Amino acid sequence: MENKVTYLSSQWRDEVEKRLNTEITPEKMKHLTSSVAYVYLDCPGGKDKFLYFKMDNGKFTKVLVGDSEPPEADFRVTGPYDLFANLTQGKISSQRALMSGKLKLKGSMVKALKLASLADRINKVLGSIPTQY
Amino acid sequence: MPYVLDPTDLYYIDFPGRVSRIQKQMAEEKIDIYLGSRLRTLSWVSDAFCPWRSYVVIPAEGLPTVFSFVIDAARIADESWLDEDHVLGYAPMGGMDQITIISDFIKDLLKGKKGRIGYESGMSNYLAEGNLTHYEYESFRDALSGSELINAHHIVDRLSLIKDQGTINRFRKASRIVDEGHKAVKEAISGGGWKGMTETEIAGIAALAMRKAGSVWEWSFTGGNEIASGYRSGLAGCACTPATTRKLKRGDPLMVDIHAMYKLALGDHAHNYIIGHETKRQRWHADNFISIVSLVLKTYKAGVSPLSIAEEAMAFAEDKGFAEYMLPGFEHGIGMMGDEWRIGMNEGPLPYWTNPDHAYQENEVLICAMQYSCPDEKIGLRYENPILILKDKCEAMSKFGLRVEVIE
Repeated sequence: MENKVTYLSSQWRDEVEKRLNTEITPEKMKHLTSSVAYVYLDCPGGKDKFLYFKMDNGKFTKVLVGDSEPPEADFRVTGPYDLFANLTQGKISSQRALMSGKLKLKGSMVKALKLASLADRINKVLGSIPTQY
Repeated sequence: MPYVLDPTDLYYIDFPGRVSRIQKQMAEEKIDIYLGSRLRTLSWVSDAFCPWRSYVVIPAEGLPTVFSFVIDAARIADESWLDEDHVLGYAPMGGMDQITIISDFIKDLLKGKKGRIGYESGMSNYLAEGNLTHYEYESFRDALSGSELINAHHIVDRLSLIKDQGTINRFRKASRIVDEGHKAVKEAISGGGWKGMTETEIAGIAALAMRKAGSVWEWSFTGGNEIASGYRSGLAGCACTPATTRKLKRGDPLMVDIHAMYKLALGDHAHNYIIGHETKRQRWHADNFISIVSLVLKTYKAGVSPLSIAEEAMAFAEDKGFAEYMLPGFEHGIGMMGDEWRIGMNEGPLPYWTNPDHAYQENEVLICAMQYSCPDEKIGLRYENPILILKDKCEAMSKFGLRVEVIE
């Protein structure tokens, strides 16, 4: 049985960073320079947590997790922990999560439109990590 | 890419200056944020056509930010002087709906404090006015709980009343374009070309010619180019005639009222014909019409008012025996796209209608608009032309000759 890492733990973060930089090339990321912070509300244990990505020219230069205020980002996506967990596992699509209003996006919607497919690629990689939710 | 403001351009408008003047007025009235929603405000501030429900948030200092439906925001940014960071899209997504995104944006500007927020409310007979709806007002009030919402449309109304040179030049250009449309229509209906032609075809001929000449839209919400033939020209009080598929007939009056838009300035000129053959009675009506239009055009100047013009013109019509055929109003307001109908400020005896005692000032632009209707005789004639108010006279911007022509 494959070893599982805990969702949003530092081990999970390390795996995310490794996989993103090996499985998604800068070309696939359209040489994007941007940042996004996901804010997970009501995580197990009662705290809020965050996952933060920084991309420079399509390369993931910073992947952070934590339980404080995340760094400033171009986009901030806020929602309940359970919803993000379902999203990562592919149980719910990002479109449904956003269009139902359960996830709240902050940032330029016009720019976000261009990034929607890239976000799905990132999510697929996250979903491939054996994870304990 | 937004366009770069070029003060040497004939059509240059000092948009940053406009924003500064709004902000100065906001400061005087202790308004922290101005939330514009009217089409006229969006045009006047952004210099881009915003056909979807849009809003502009003007902070106390710095650049305004336009919010429009996400499918159109990039296009607006491309055509505006504002960059893409100041033209944002809203969408049916969590946090991205228009109430949430704008109220969050305003809260960020207020930095956690409560503020006074100017918004735009009122009423209009013009469909596309764009006042904040009751639902929007309640939603913003709830989302911005603790802040005070104040109706403040008078700020933009006052500042946009007198036209700057770039705006006037844009209006002149739009009128030159309308003249091209009229030339094309006259050419098409002449020499028997009118036979079998419909009102809609005439509207299309004008549209094509004006588009070739640089118009981007037959902007009027009254159906684009308004064409009325035969009895339709003479419907009582009929100053709204979207073109129909009615075919022209010999002896018909034909009213051609066409519209062009150039850099959000609006061309609007109506010209009249009689098809094939005119009766003596039709000529009598036509001469009456020409005489009263000529009089009114000579009367406009700084200092006169809508009421003084109406009184003088109606007295003339009464004296000549045709007052019963005149619609007793001789103008409507005009500005950049979305600014149509009311003249001047909302300060008349009837809320949100033209103040009859409004004293015209130099460099106001309005549409001289006159409607002559005789339903019993199935004839009507219309005059519209943007005019620039000058110290001792007015400048009629469309130069297509004032006459009622018989087309063989």
